[in-house]
Amino acid sequence: MRFASLAAAALLLSAAAFAQEIDKGKILGSPAAPVRIEVYSDFACPACRSFHEQMLPLIVRDYVMQGKVAIVNREFPLNIPAHKYSREAANYATAAARLGIYQPVSDQLFRNQESWSASGKVWETVAGVLNAEQQKKIQALVHESSITAEVQHDLDAGNGLRVNSTPSIFLVRGSQRLPIPFPVNYSFLRSLLDGYTK
Amino acid sequence: MAIPNNALRWITLVLRVVLGIIFVYAAWAKLRLPWQLFAMSIDSYQLLPTPMVEFLARTLPWFELALGLVLIGGWWLRLTSAFTSALLLVFFSLIVRAAIKGQEISCGCFGPGETISWKTMLRDGSMLAGSLFITAMAFVNRRRSRMPGPESLPQGGTPSEPAPSLPPSASR
Repeated sequence: MRFASLAAAALLLSAAAFAQEIDKGKILGSPAAPVRIEVYSDFACPACRSFHEQMLPLIVRDYVMQGKVAIVNREFPLNIPAHKYSREAANYATAAARLGIYQPVSDQLFRNQESWSASGKVWETVAGVLNAEQQKKIQALVHESSITAEVQHDLDAGNGLRVNSTPSIFLVRGSQRLPIPFPVNYSFLRSLLDGYTK
Repeated sequence: MAIPNNALRWITLVLRVVLGIIFVYAAWAKLRLPWQLFAMSIDSYQLLPTPMVEFLARTLPWFELALGLVLIGGWWLRLTSAFTSALLLVFFSLIVRAAIKGQEISCGCFGPGETISWKTMLRDGSMLAGSLFITAMAFVNRRRSRMPGPESLPQGGTPSEPAPSLPPSASR
């Protein structure tokens, strides 16, 4: 009986800790949605761009707008030579999330992926969708250790889930976490989500 | 150096049971999850139309389960092992094809979450080699069992003695 109570308390505590560790600025949709889709992505990864630009709008239209699903964005900058500016991009996006402008910044980074990932002009790209005040705030924020720590936290969480490629997508419902194979076939994903959000 | 027949039989038995258990586990790993996840894994190979993918996703795990159980039981061994080898050959070819094409996709072998890598190819290649060995042994054993042995000698006869001629009715 005592063990059961302790286990229940531990579960509650871990659930609370999990809820706290999600950056609210990186959630698309209601945090109270019954199903979460966690996306570990790298701003320099072409497959992530394809998911962001083609699949995500469909999920947002059909499920996020109706409060059935929330999208949780996680940074997973790959440590490979071709992605040498990914971490910097992730830092800027995380700083933008603190100001509540993660989506426009991530849209901009994916849209201009080819240019900044070749030239390294990450800030110039991000600045294109920010006003003067936002630029100033993000430049101040991006150097804070809490930003790099948050990106590292996402990386560690991904490694803990054995993420080894991007995008890695997980469907989370309660304590259940299902890896979604990529590339995603939307008709099968819709069938799955319909079953989970009835 | 020839391997004794008894050792070969043991090796075959162990391989067969291990392969059967792997098949049962692969089936369980898929059946415990919604079929759509396996469908997305099959679909990521970009080979089949959606209705075919759905059909395979719904039926293949049950088929793997049956195949695994029959392998463990050792029933209809020539047929089962030949079929297992053919199936594993298809799986292995698809994995190698995906790797050659540079597709970073989920293998789908034991449910979602395993990206194809050299480890996947090594594992599936070993399974295929094991299955081919079982199949070869099943056919060799069948041929051996059909060869005349001591029990086919006439009563009281020895291998060195010529067998008495049988009456026409008995030789039919």
